[in-house]
Amino acid sequence: MEAIKDALDFSDFPRVDLTIAIAVLIFLFIFPLLPLSAFAMATMIQFLMFSIYGMGWNTIGGYGGQVDLGKAQYVGIGAYTTAVMLIRWDLPFWLSMPVGVCLAVGWSFIIGYPLFRLKGHYFAIATIATSLVLKALFEVWDFVGAARGLEISPIKYRPPDFWRLIFKEDVYYYYVILGFFLIGILYMNWFRKSRLGFQLRSIKDNEDVARSLGIKVRWAKVKTYAIATAFVSVVGSFHACYIKAIEPEDTMSLDISILIALMAMLGGAGSLWGPIIGAGILIPLKSYLKEWLGATAGLVGIDLIIYAMIIMLVSAFEPKGIWGIVEKIRRRKRK
Amino acid sequence: MALLEVHNVTKDFGGLRANSDISFTMEKGELLGLIGPNGAGKTTLFNCISGLHPLSSGRILFESEDITELKAHEVARRGLARTFQVYVASGDLNVEENVMVGCFMRTRSRIRAKARAAEILEFLNLQELSAYLVSELPVAAQKRVTMATALGSDPKLLLLDEVAAGLNPSEIEEILASIKHVHYELGVTVMLIEHVMELVMKISDRVIVLDSGQKIAEGNPEEIAGNPDVIKAYLGERYVKEHGGEL
Repeated sequence: MEAIKDALDFSDFPRVDLTIAIAVLIFLFIFPLLPLSAFAMATMIQFLMFSIYGMGWNTIGGYGGQVDLGKAQYVGIGAYTTAVMLIRWDLPFWLSMPVGVCLAVGWSFIIGYPLFRLKGHYFAIATIATSLVLKALFEVWDFVGAARGLEISPIKYRPPDFWRLIFKEDVYYYYVILGFFLIGILYMNWFRKSRLGFQLRSIKDNEDVARSLGIKVRWAKVKTYAIATAFVSVVGSFHACYIKAIEPEDTMSLDISILIALMAMLGGAGSLWGPIIGAGILIPLKSYLKEWLGATAGLVGIDLIIYAMIIMLVSAFEPKGIWGIVEKIRRRKRK
Repeated sequence: MALLEVHNVTKDFGGLRANSDISFTMEKGELLGLIGPNGAGKTTLFNCISGLHPLSSGRILFESEDITELKAHEVARRGLARTFQVYVASGDLNVEENVMVGCFMRTRSRIRAKARAAEILEFLNLQELSAYLVSELPVAAQKRVTMATALGSDPKLLLLDEVAAGLNPSEIEEILASIKHVHYELGVTVMLIEHVMELVMKISDRVIVLDSGQKIAEGNPEEIAGNPDVIKAYLGERYVKEHGGEL
């Protein structure tokens, strides 16, 4: 009961924040009614997907301070579970998505338990490694289509198929992912006030202090890692139905992992709005860069250069990202 | 019945013996001071008791139960809380939230944790600071916040690690009052490490002195103040010779 109340209670934010949030929310709801291009719609769906990825990452990476650069492996697990179950056994999204979450979370426990013996950079590097190993395995695993990947042929189904999540128009996908996005925000609003949320922030501060306050540090981290994984896996499943063609290279590559981490880092790690702000900046940037530069001038890697610069700038000047700057200004005003 | 029993605790770091065969007991309701010059092994002993360091040998009993092998979080759950000398706050949690983390040890409910934190903050006269980040506060206030955080877990025994270090005399008076307050009003048994000898002598029922990892004296404050070994440890052999062994 208290949990539901906490999830719905945003009253600790100043009125400006809530006004902006409501305005954005209204915009998100009416967005498909605006006469915009398919490109804008696709960008918007990407924005919502990466917001949710970022929210998931924010649990362990933001509140817990454990920089995780291997989230792409769980995008892959979610996406492949849904694709395989649909193609091989004609099982619908709403069944395969929870199965994907279970598999991803199970894998995250196997990975997480030993990984959380490591700290700081060593942990970050290890997460990259595990993600790349899983990707390499998928590239040679024939059951999941090896390096060619899997393709969901929409001809077999009669869209709109809500059960299997096969649609012709993007607008359906848009509202489905918007639903997940809203659930994600409510969950995160609960999470930041929950006992686990507090414990993680304490762990980020000082692990020895956290221990002496009765916190099982490693278990708290592993649990949170699993929560982050569940978020990512759900969107991974959605990704499979939405893109309809998945291969290891684009669902499990390192840049997906980095992009996921970057959402929250740029927007503000350890804050509710951070990942959304980050995704709101980075996703349009990424889409337009691809559209304008990538194809024409042979500047394929330019988006990666920009990400790298953002990482450097954020970590050098404001580790808490854009939201950190906002909070600093507010603190100064209050005094 | 003794609340805490420390039997022959030894702790080695590689070739360095930080604690050597230390034994003592603590009764419920006591206020015990642990003093000794720099590097005497006081904090190491705290770390051993609170489960952060595994012992090299020896046994520790809390409420007659063996806690030697327990991890730090399990020791804390038994009711043994501690503060830290150097409190590194990244600045993510404000004062109230910090205390709430302590309170969350005993409850899952945020509302109850918040209510308990408010009580403790008021008790230690910190309620006006509750919205500040710990890193924004002066050292003296930070030390009191660490005490409040430890109290959040409703401990039976509170280990205070140098809460007066780096404070000026009036701040020391203030923290002294806080310690007494916690000890007498909440009935918490307290063990404090202190550099500032004066403070320990003033409030402790009993004092234990460590030097180079060994227990060199134990007794009430007057006995300790007159103990030649203690004076030697603190002031050196020459001082004792010249002044005839009076502090």
